Amino acid sequence: MFHWLEQKPFFFAVVLFLTVAFAGFVTIVPDFAKQSQPTVGTKPYTVLELAGRQVYIKDSCNACHSQLIRPFKSETDRYGMYSLSGEYAYDRPFLWGSKRAGPDLMRVGNYRTTDWHENHMMNPSDVVPGTVMPKYPHQFTNMADLATAYANANTQKELFGVPYDTDGMPKLGSWAEAEAQAKEDAKLIASDMKNQSVKDAVANGQVPEIVALIAYLNSLK
Amino acid sequence: MDQETLLTIQGYGKFFLILFVFIVFYSYAYSIYKRQKTGERDFEKYSNLVHDDFLDSCPLEKRDNSIEKND
Amino acid sequence: MQSNAQLEYDYSIVKAFTFATILFGIIGMLVGVILSFQLAFPELNNLAGEYGTFGRLRPLHTNGVAFGFTLSGIFATWYYVGQRTLKMSLNESKFLMTVAKLHFGLYFITILLAVVTFLMGFTTSKEYAELEWPLDLLVVVWWVLWGVAMFGMIGMRRERTIYVAIWYYMSSFLAIAMLYLFNNMEVPTFLWSGDAPSSLMHSVSMYAGSNDASVQWWYGHNAVAFVFTAPIIGMIYYFLPKESGQNIFSYKLSLLSFWGLMFVYLWAGGHHLLYSTVPDWMQTMGSTMSVVLILPSWGSAINMLLTMKGEWQQLQTSPLIKFMILASTFYMLSTIEGPIQAIKSVNAIAHFTDWIPGHVHDGVLGWVGFMTMASLFHMAPRMFKREIYSKSLMETQFWLQTVGIVFYFTSMWIAGITQGMMWRAYDEYGSLLYSFIDTVEVLHPYYTIRAVGGLFYLVGFFIFAYNIYKTATAGRVLDKEPANASPMAS
Ligand code: HEC
Ligand code: HEM
Repeated sequence: MFHWLEQKPFFFAVVLFLTVAFAGFVTIVPDFAKQSQPTVGTKPYTVLELAGRQVYIKDSCNACHSQLIRPFKSETDRYGMYSLSGEYAYDRPFLWGSKRAGPDLMRVGNYRTTDWHENHMMNPSDVVPGTVMPKYPHQFTNMADLATAYANANTQKELFGVPYDTDGMPKLGSWAEAEAQAKEDAKLIASDMKNQSVKDAVANGQVPEIVALIAYLNSLK
Repeated sequence: MDQETLLTIQGYGKFFLILFVFIVFYSYAYSIYKRQKTGERDFEKYSNLVHDDFLDSCPLEKRDNSIEKND
Repeated sequence: MQSNAQLEYDYSIVKAFTFATILFGIIGMLVGVILSFQLAFPELNNLAGEYGTFGRLRPLHTNGVAFGFTLSGIFATWYYVGQRTLKMSLNESKFLMTVAKLHFGLYFITILLAVVTFLMGFTTSKEYAELEWPLDLLVVVWWVLWGVAMFGMIGMRRERTIYVAIWYYMSSFLAIAMLYLFNNMEVPTFLWSGDAPSSLMHSVSMYAGSNDASVQWWYGHNAVAFVFTAPIIGMIYYFLPKESGQNIFSYKLSLLSFWGLMFVYLWAGGHHLLYSTVPDWMQTMGSTMSVVLILPSWGSAINMLLTMKGEWQQLQTSPLIKFMILASTFYMLSTIEGPIQAIKSVNAIAHFTDWIPGHVHDGVLGWVGFMTMASLFHMAPRMFKREIYSKSLMETQFWLQTVGIVFYFTSMWIAGITQGMMWRAYDEYGSLLYSFIDTVEVLHPYYTIRAVGGLFYLVGFFIFAYNIYKTATAGRVLDKEPANASPMAS
């Protein structure tokens, strides 16, 4: 039988495929449903936060920052309560990262503020001398993409049943409503900031990337 | 059926699957060495597939149903 | 069909992919060197505005070397080893020739587009799957084309038995097809945009949170298996016996370790997720299976090394053999290091530190890089019908790159363990001893050493590129194809 298999490329390929595929189905499939249950209190991201999350992904902050606190005392002392599976239920994609050139950001919203981020993102070494984090001045001039963030949220709502617009959850509504809401949220953030061109842009109904990013960082708790 | 029983069944399922694969794997290993020993098939000669790989050299084992009639 | 005497193997596709290997190797490794200097000297992040920051460049590096450099090397050697061990020529089939050309063309365009889109910031953020959906679709198209070429060539073979190297290429094709499809399940947002003018490039992952992580590392770990391991083993099973004129130490062992590797590898992905929020049993499984993985890995590695049994003096006479033997040695090193890192208590310290890139690079620089370059060196005299331009350049390259690798992994071992220990150090009053920035500043010397090591490797790669270029254009013309040892001018 083995001999036969080695000379029949098609059946050989089938057996090979089954051997390889086997593990994936056995390891991943069983817990799929259980894993995706949100923990009580976890909410989907608002449109502004999602736009900020997109900035985080666009500049690959996850190349240097994790968002996963492991259950060790040294980590909970440094970053806060260890992570629970349900807290990630609305994270598409997950942003655990694989390397900490910088600290974990899973709960950075608990101990850093808007103005701190503003100074830090403009020039990290002003705030923390000796850091290796890049400067991000372009985030103060590039505008965030609210439309795509809304489309992202709407896809999650309609396709994956993420509970926007339900009791106690963030409101999404139509694109026009969501855009207006996001701009309101942006004003709140900008009022804590000092950079004049950012403040002007927000007053004019624009949302610079930095505002969205800070909204996202503040939501990490 | 509750979660508990489901997990138990899964556990047994996995155990027997792995057992099955192990048996297949070891019988494969055994069959290779046995065939070599009884002379039914010489595996080591396949290294020649590398040494003698010119297009015009004679194949080590011809395909009987080969599409081209090269004789 | 005409008689075989007039037929020849067709190397045009091999040459095209060889060119791509060198081009993308230069791009990918250059970016790697820039990244490593940025970690040592962060001002370098701002040389090109937003496009030159560490975050933008890192996916460009990883994808550039994995899917640019390594994959081109795999494709180049596939079209070479495939034709030769199956004893068929692409010239015999117009159809397969066209498929192979399309395969190259689309592949090349995809990688160029990848460079542009990564710089612009289009990324899904999932490691080694960062390409956005339109490019993912392109990848699927040329991957299928590769499959058509592969099975087409196998279907036309004259040799009845399929040589073990080909098995590895087949496994790479099948496994990546499956992994890539499942991990890149994503929905373009413009389809459900609810009237918002969404970007056309953007997509949402079909999986969320811990599930996304499980699927991602099932993919991520096995992308390593089927891009950086299996096809490279395929290469060495052809090129080492061929170059040295030796038989494989044990052909039977090569078959057994093949099936062992195929079965065990896929279970080990969980070791990327230890102490995370994926289920415990998945973590334990990942950890255990990683240790089991030593067996088939060392099975192959020992088989390669013992192939040189009785012929060790070739190590002194041929730089090509040196490259391949060092490659197998590094393969052994990284396949023992990986399982060590997968032990839960070790992983608690090693995870998230620089030890991980250290581990990655003794594999990719020592094993993948050396084996790919050695294969191209072996193929060059056959496809250009010329002698290798310079043996002494090969020697220089070998030593320069070896020193580079040693700098790289030793500095990252120290850096990683230092960092891991400092993160968890407490003082006598029970508070954390170091603030995070302390653990960053202490790494500066190691980052500098790593960057210098990387630079050595890159310079070695330029020497390699020059040597191949000179071989193709100025090497002494050969009248007959060499049987084993590749001829080289001193
Ligand atoms: C080259 C790696 C690198 C990249 C890329 C990077 N960071 Fe950092 N980050 C660091 C380092 C190192 C620190 C610690 C020192 C400091 O505070 O600057 C840090 C600190 C931080 C902190 C402070 C956390 C704390 O607990 O004090 C925040 C917030 C932050 N980064 C956000 C970001 C964001 C947002 C991005 C993406 C736009 C980003 N970082 C990209 C390396 C990086
Ligand atoms: C020229 C030499 C090279 C240098 C200097 C270099 C440098 C780097 C650096 C600085 C990183 C980022 C590590 C971090 O995040 O801290 C990295 C990551 C990576 N590189 Fe390279 N690289 C080189 C060659 C290669 C080659 C040839 C390959 C593959 C064939 C490769 C594969 C990878 C992979 C897979 C990662 C991701 C590792 C991880 O996620 O931990 N590199 N490299």
